[in-house]
Amino acid sequence: MESVKLTIDGQEISTAKGKTVIEAAAEAGIAIPHYCYHPKLPIAGNCRMCLVEIEKMPRLQIACNTQASEGMAVQTRSSKVLEARRAVMEFLLINHPLDCPICDQAGECKLQDYYMEHDLKASRFEERKEHERKREIFGPYVVFDGERCIKCTRCVRFLQEVTHTGELAVVNRGDHSTIALFANETVDNPLSGNIVDICPVGALTDRDFRFKVRAWYLKNTPSVCPGCSTGCNITIGSYQNRIARFKPRINEEVNSHWICDEGRYCFHPLTEVERLTSPLVRQEGGLAPTDWETALQAALSGLSAATPLAGVLSGRNTNEEAFLFARLVKKLSSQAAIEAVYYERKLTEVEAILKSPDRSPNFRGAREMGASPNGGFEPLLRQLIGGKFRAAYIVGEDLLSLAPDGEKIKNALEKLSFLVVQDTRLTPTARLAHVVLPATNFAEKEGTYTNRKGRVQKLNAALVPPAGALQDWEIFARLQNKAGEKIFYQSPAEIFQAIAHEVVRYQGLSYAAIGDQGVQLSDET
Amino acid sequence: MEKVLLRNIDVPDSHTLAVYKSRGGYRAFEQVLRGMSPEKLIEEVKASGLRGRGGAGFPTGMKWSFVPKDSPKPKYVICNADESEPGTFKDRLLIEKDPHAVIEGTILAAYAIQSHTAFIYIRGELVFGSKVLQGAIDEAAQAGYLGKNILGSGYDLELILHRGAGAYICGEETGLLSSLEGGRGWPKVKPPFPATHGLFGCPTVVNNVETLATLPWIIDQGAARYAAIGTEKSKGTKLFSVSGHIRKPGVYEVEMGYPFKRFLEEDCGGVPNGRKLKGVIPGGSSMPVLRADELEPVRMDYESMQAAGSMLGSGGVIVMDDSTCMVQAAWNVARFYAHESCGQCTPCREGCHWMEKIFRRIESGEGEKGDLDLVLNISGNITGNTICPFGDAAAWPAAAFIKKYRAEFEAHITQKRCVVI
Ligand SMILES: Cc1cc2nc3c(=O)[nH]c(=O)nc-3n(C[C@H](O)[C@H](O)[C@H](O)COP(=O)(O)O)c2cc1C
Ligand code: SF4
Ligand code: SF4
Ligand code: SF4
Ligand code: FES
Repeated sequence: MESVKLTIDGQEISTAKGKTVIEAAAEAGIAIPHYCYHPKLPIAGNCRMCLVEIEKMPRLQIACNTQASEGMAVQTRSSKVLEARRAVMEFLLINHPLDCPICDQAGECKLQDYYMEHDLKASRFEERKEHERKREIFGPYVVFDGERCIKCTRCVRFLQEVTHTGELAVVNRGDHSTIALFANETVDNPLSGNIVDICPVGALTDRDFRFKVRAWYLKNTPSVCPGCSTGCNITIGSYQNRIARFKPRINEEVNSHWICDEGRYCFHPLTEVERLTSPLVRQEGGLAPTDWETALQAALSGLSAATPLAGVLSGRNTNEEAFLFARLVKKLSSQAAIEAVYYERKLTEVEAILKSPDRSPNFRGAREMGASPNGGFEPLLRQLIGGKFRAAYIVGEDLLSLAPDGEKIKNALEKLSFLVVQDTRLTPTARLAHVVLPATNFAEKEGTYTNRKGRVQKLNAALVPPAGALQDWEIFARLQNKAGEKIFYQSPAEIFQAIAHEVVRYQGLSYAAIGDQGVQLSDET
Repeated sequence: MEKVLLRNIDVPDSHTLAVYKSRGGYRAFEQVLRGMSPEKLIEEVKASGLRGRGGAGFPTGMKWSFVPKDSPKPKYVICNADESEPGTFKDRLLIEKDPHAVIEGTILAAYAIQSHTAFIYIRGELVFGSKVLQGAIDEAAQAGYLGKNILGSGYDLELILHRGAGAYICGEETGLLSSLEGGRGWPKVKPPFPATHGLFGCPTVVNNVETLATLPWIIDQGAARYAAIGTEKSKGTKLFSVSGHIRKPGVYEVEMGYPFKRFLEEDCGGVPNGRKLKGVIPGGSSMPVLRADELEPVRMDYESMQAAGSMLGSGGVIVMDDSTCMVQAAWNVARFYAHESCGQCTPCREGCHWMEKIFRRIESGEGEKGDLDLVLNISGNITGNTICPFGDAAAWPAAAFIKKYRAEFEAHITQKRCVVI
């Protein structure tokens, strides 16, 4: 690739030909302030925040639309540039309501940040501020505040260029310009939440998140979306041990800057449930709490006595869990079938931009860990309904509500001589069990998922599980120990090490090297 | 002085093809078709020294030569007939009285860059002008000057008249392009420039009505004859729209370099009613105002106007006598720009209204100490920092009014009333 040399603030920089000054500067670690520029959207050049001084050019130039060229000398912090930025900040704020105390964006607002860096002066504006629409509902997840909008058009461009749904446009002129919905439109496309993320100010906010937590109270944990097997990278924002929101985390190999709405809000059903805090064992009169020792012993005896055994894992279990589960189930019954839950559905064109057709983020990893020797989940389900099994161990899924033939499954489960269910809540499926083991959800665990395309990515625990529940891997390990196979893993990291030894395609991988961007499995086999 | 642009307008039925032809119309185009190559045509226009009459004064032949010859994309020529600059009404006269000159000029430009589709983008309010122009286009097509295989030459050209919807910014060439593409009349960020990425991303030339209407004469009479008119750097003649406190308002064709003061006093009859000249905006509302006492050395050409601290612009001459309140004038102009700012880029969107509000406050007796420097500062913060030249067009006059008539503004602020009697 051809490259060009230039200097930015005196620093010599080499960049690929065709890059803009803002990109070249970013590569060299020089941040040029900007509002309208977004690396994944077409250049708009409207905010004028990125003005820089370029030698031999009489006027300041916008860094986002100026190509870096050989010998160019760029100043990003000259007095002329700083004054221009201050002026742009001042212009942006004259009609701005400055309602930071009640604005959800506060704490992560580019107006606030750049004001602190570049203006820090009292406003000279003494006229009447222009007013605009407040709290206009743009869609199921997005609400608009016209007074806070800086008309950067990122939202409009996203809907034009990424989703091609085009629900929004700029209307009116001058300082009455504003963003509006086309007649009879709502921003309800499957990726709508992203416009909240790319809005640099508090003009678009998330109806689900807003007013729940101030951004600066959030604990942010990098993780992977459990919504489907695309495995979009996310940051889990949590507060007081509850998830407040998902935000996309940039990974060009997976999701770029985006996540879908279904994924964004999937933590509600997955985490906001009444938790099991004690193991349960069936006694006369129903399920009764007991201690872990008793429950595990009961599970082990029951499962070993009734064969063949069906092991059903959730598509949200990690590789480490799947690895132990596959081994455990095989140990318990020589005629065991093991599958991870997997269903496909049809995706619309817009959904398909990001989503995978399943809701099993780690179905591929689970299969690769040995949790699918039988050719798929649905055949196993048919066998279960057909009465092939005498026992089942179901982890993390409510089979009764999942499948269209819930009634048939219920009948089949009732006929089993032994059923163990391991889950976070007492699901209808769990109510049929002989032993119920309280476990953890995706946000409480550490481990890895392998996405549909074979990228191994890391989950990190954002929440602390309730007292009384155990990590899934720990439950499997303890059962395994009880069954007589000595397992000494102390953490998912150690299990992953074992995987990297024993699972062919994972050989040589290191847990630490997965980092926050994941590693790609090689293509062969 | 021989008239180049207004040569036909006083002839009855000058808008018809018959009259236009009887006065040598379409001779230039026929001559080109008989054997002038596009390259030669461009050279000829370069040699004439013709500069764009839309406001910026960019050399026309040079603009054409930026269009890539080997582009696989279609090329477009657009006649900018959006004329909306306050104080400017010269294109309208040409459109209504000599539409075939505009059409022939457009055809010549199209031939020069080998474009096969041309547009005339006309200001929506010019309802009569559009009718006249459409009639003339139909006549020209009927006579074989437009369409397929023009006069058997093998050259095809379609000419489409498009009416704007009434926004000043659609006269800015890239705002015009966005509008013509069916979008909001938002100027485009440059680069890329229209010569390579214009209408629908294709190479495009945008020229003003007056610029184009000059072309038939230049080709018919020869570049040398045209270049002999005017000054060394400002060639030919130019139309000036004269309005305001003047005895004989109207459209004048003036040789470049003509003394401005003499023009106002003699040609236009001077200021009426025994009043005295106070100031004049020489090039449309976007250009800095000149005080009466500054006019002596000023000549009507690009260089002299610039040396005087203003610009020739569109040639919209707005004359103000000593009954004019300059605060009110400044507010009036500022209000226009605040209303017309497209709102796309920050400094112009916010700054134009801010200046307007301050002027309004001063005008209504609520001015404060510091207001004038604030406006000057705002104006400076807009200038040069916007997507399109509209920002400058709004910022310059605001600053100029204050700088040229500061005492009057200050009196307005301290006495909280108008001081002009
Ligand atoms: C705000 C603004 C408004 C303009 N309006 C017009 C107009 O109404 N007519 C016009 O010919 N040029 C107008 N221009 C100039 C055009 O952008 C462009 O320079 C011109 O049409 C080019 O033609 P020329 O080279 O023949 O002068 C305007 C420019 C600006 C910045
Ligand atoms: S958008 Fe930013 S500056 Fe504006 S009110 Fe919200 S937090 Fe404050
Ligand atoms: S709503 Fe947000 S993203 Fe959209 S234009 Fe306004 S500030 Fe930009
Ligand atoms: S300078 Fe004014 S008119 Fe031009 S693009 Fe910016 S806001 Fe629009
Ligand atoms: S980031 Fe360059 S103009 Fe907005």
